[in-house]
Amino acid sequence: MSEELEEKEEDSEINWILWGLTVLAFSATVYAIFVYVPTEKQEGLVQRIMYYHIPSAWLSFFAFFIVFLSSILYLWKREREWDIYAQSSAEIGVVFCSLVLITGPIWAKPIWGTWWVWDARLTSTLVLWLIYVAYIMLRLQSDAGSMRARYSAVIGIAGFLNIPIIHFSVLWWRTFHPKPKMITPEGFGAGMDDSMVMTLMISLGAFTLLYFLLMGQRVRIEKMKDEIDQIKKERFYSN
Amino acid sequence: MKAYLAQIGTIIWKDVLSELKTKELFASMFIFAVLSILIFIFSINLSIVNANDVGPGVLWVAFIFSGTLGLNRSFTLEKENGCLQGMMLSPVDRTAIYFGKMISNLLFLSIMEVLILPVFMIFFNVDIISVLFSLLLVIFLGSIGFCVLGTLLSSLASNLKTREIMLPILLYPLVTPVVIGSVNMTSRLLAGEKLADMTKWIGLISCFDIVFLAVSIMTIDHILEE
Repeated sequence: MSEELEEKEEDSEINWILWGLTVLAFSATVYAIFVYVPTEKQEGLVQRIMYYHIPSAWLSFFAFFIVFLSSILYLWKREREWDIYAQSSAEIGVVFCSLVLITGPIWAKPIWGTWWVWDARLTSTLVLWLIYVAYIMLRLQSDAGSMRARYSAVIGIAGFLNIPIIHFSVLWWRTFHPKPKMITPEGFGAGMDDSMVMTLMISLGAFTLLYFLLMGQRVRIEKMKDEIDQIKKERFYSN
Repeated sequence: MKAYLAQIGTIIWKDVLSELKTKELFASMFIFAVLSILIFIFSINLSIVNANDVGPGVLWVAFIFSGTLGLNRSFTLEKENGCLQGMMLSPVDRTAIYFGKMISNLLFLSIMEVLILPVFMIFFNVDIISVLFSLLLVIFLGSIGFCVLGTLLSSLASNLKTREIMLPILLYPLVTPVVIGSVNMTSRLLAGEKLADMTKWIGLISCFDIVFLAVSIMTIDHILEE
């Protein structure tokens, strides 16, 4: 019992360090985005949303990759641990994928003049979002247990393997219906200033830290739930 | 290997027999496909829009909607009288059950599609006879992808409380590449292009078919459990 307690204390120590680091990184990000980095010449203020947009996209993609890995490991090892990781990561991924889909149009309206273009990258992000929303719905609709874990693992694997195929299909789909070519999406290609690259990197780092922080919290909540269920069951049978 | 093929054949034959007896699934799929084409015709003005532009999309929407109907039916039917339990108890490999169901789904869908084509030709006034062979090939390739993934997800969704809702929600985003590819190829065929110019789409859809066949074979043991 004491070993378990020690382990828990160690866990919470790591959690505090991670928490502190994330707060620091985000303060640095906010400073860099709003004070340090100069305003972009052509796009103006709205361009600053990129420093949230790209890291969110990176984070959601990373999260879905973790879902894929955990799903494979779950089907292989059949340990509840991996199921928890897959679920937590999918939830975080969907949240940040939604942020991508929200910040995108906010930027696109003043720059492209429309909220939405059926561009390859936009389309594939939307489809990706739908896949993982379905994944979460599947989890909500089935009772806790091995069945839910197995089924969602199958979707987690199928969804991620589909990403490259979806990517190519929407890419070719667009090339057959050419629309006015915009300035390279997200304003990347134009050759960014060093300070901008720097800000983006800080932001990417901060978001990555945030992922691990959120993941740690979410996994802990899920484990607590399991523990409570366990205690409830013990009580129920002992009476 | 021979025994394995015989097992698959038995499952397909069982599905065909039960369909011949009840005649439930096939008629509803066909009528549903006709109805969805009809609804699209009401919602677009064919005297303004070129039928060749919208036709392929409508055709595939009809295929996919009525295909979903068939997929939903395929495993719920097995659940009803504990047939799935019986099949799982019988000494056959789980992949044989999957292949049997997948091929019978594909069979029903293909027959329905072949019957829908003349309806489509008449309603949209497009000429499909000159490209019939290539068109059938494209439709078949797309249908394989749809059934490969659809059967896997249908076996999965049949155990959920909300199976009729969850199947399309899970299936549609995942089959986007097949839909995009098939609609694209169909509309280019109708515009008079040769199938030989579309090798990369054929490659993409074949790739989808193979990848998800592999995924299904590897994961079906985990779905059909207990």
